[in-house]
Amino acid sequence: MLRQIIQDFVVQQFNVDPAEFDRADLMVKDLGLDSLGVVEMLFEVEDLYGFQVHDPARYSGMTFNDMVADIEATIRAAHNGQLPEPASLQGKAA
Amino acid sequence: MTHTLQRVVVTGIGLLTPLGLTRQTSFERLLRADGAVRPAAPEITQWLPNALSADVDPAFAQALDRNEQGLDRATQFALLASREALADAKAERWDLDPDRVGVYAGIGLGGATTGEALYKRLHESRQAGRNPTVMHPLSVPRLMPNAATAAISMAQGFRGPTHTYSVACSSSAMALGEACRSIRHGYADAIVVVGAEAMNVPGVFMAWNALRVMAKPHPDHSAASCRPFDKDRSGFVLAEGAAALVLETAESALRRGATIYGELCGYGSSSDAEHLTLPSSAGQYRAIRMALDDAGMAPEAIDYVNAHGTATEAGDVIESETLAQVFGDHARRLPVSSTKALHGHLIGAAGATEFAFSLLALRSGSIPPTAYLDQPDPRCTLDYVPREARHGQTLRAVMSNSFAFGGSNVSLIARRYV
Repeated sequence: MLRQIIQDFVVQQFNVDPAEFDRADLMVKDLGLDSLGVVEMLFEVEDLYGFQVHDPARYSGMTFNDMVADIEATIRAAHNGQLPEPASLQGKAA
Repeated sequence: MTHTLQRVVVTGIGLLTPLGLTRQTSFERLLRADGAVRPAAPEITQWLPNALSADVDPAFAQALDRNEQGLDRATQFALLASREALADAKAERWDLDPDRVGVYAGIGLGGATTGEALYKRLHESRQAGRNPTVMHPLSVPRLMPNAATAAISMAQGFRGPTHTYSVACSSSAMALGEACRSIRHGYADAIVVVGAEAMNVPGVFMAWNALRVMAKPHPDHSAASCRPFDKDRSGFVLAEGAAALVLETAESALRRGATIYGELCGYGSSSDAEHLTLPSSAGQYRAIRMALDDAGMAPEAIDYVNAHGTATEAGDVIESETLAQVFGDHARRLPVSSTKALHGHLIGAAGATEFAFSLLALRSGSIPPTAYLDQPDPRCTLDYVPREARHGQTLRAVMSNSFAFGGSNVSLIARRYV
């Protein structure tokens, strides 16, 4: 789900070919996003889960899969190991 | 090094106003005296039941590309108006170096809708116990006052100077005057000048309301609520929209056979240095005289004045006194109208919008009226073109005046290009 949210945003906003995401070695820097594009992409997740990702510049050296795993780990760390449904966060403290 | 001063002409106009989404529809409705003032949006009237505004038809958004949907509303207006103006000027046939094409803008409160949304989000997050630090990363570039010039310059590939003037109600009139000077003195060959404003959001609206300058609703007909120079006037109506004008050297326009609306030949700019909101006849007089001197024209050469005409108690009387003083005997024969009765007060975009309407009057021979003017204030003694447009007029030159909070006055003159 988390992966799909990010993937959909990148495909729609930055015209990346969806087939690219089938590659396990797809690097974040290969998506063609500049530093502003990366924070726009992260906002899609931040807005849903109510937190801000630290040091987004580090993602440019990661694969897409590693970035998604890192973001997921950050969310779980803030929610007792759970990955909550974004809609369930509405109105609750993050 | 010596420069030959360039003559500066207007070859393209784009309008996105409460009267219409194009130049033609806006001007036609203006001449029909079909006003755009309405009760304000429910989110405003819930607190201010008498609030009025003049808003752009929401259908404007259909013309935006997907990547323009998130821009500030004023930037969206500016982009669309600039597109119409450049198409009107047939700028695709320009042989100009993009390094010599600039973008100047006038905006009163840049990024108002983005700022409002940002604070709304902040407060709602705090009230709901959510983390308020998550903001859209483009919030700052969307609300910066130069967002409009940035968007137009990037969209069009214009690499010349990009200036933003924020001088309240004189903003885009000053942008026009300064652009004229820049081209005249050889700093650019063409400049797209845009006035844009979009601030009819609750927070900003409440702030304007606190100044006690807003019109009260007409008992029978809300469109007739803003009544410049009328004895029953009660103030102005906040409006939104944009106007864009393509300025270029006469040489460039003639080289490609462009249509010339007129020559921007006179610009005057002065400051009152007196009062924050109360206008000063002395300051207005100096700006208008400066514009006439800049154009090398006698007052008698002006055939129409688009007044600032905000329908405030003090403003209309002081402006009428100034015009009577500048124009002397000619004032009795000089048509003066305030088009704000119909389109409201576009604040930062007002100067460019009203100068555009003045140019369209110059070219068409149709003078827009001061709508809803039934009984002039006895202290306002000029010919205000009451209620109905005048067609078939021969106009040689027109003047448009803008007077801002803070005491900044701008006067612009355009004449037929011969």
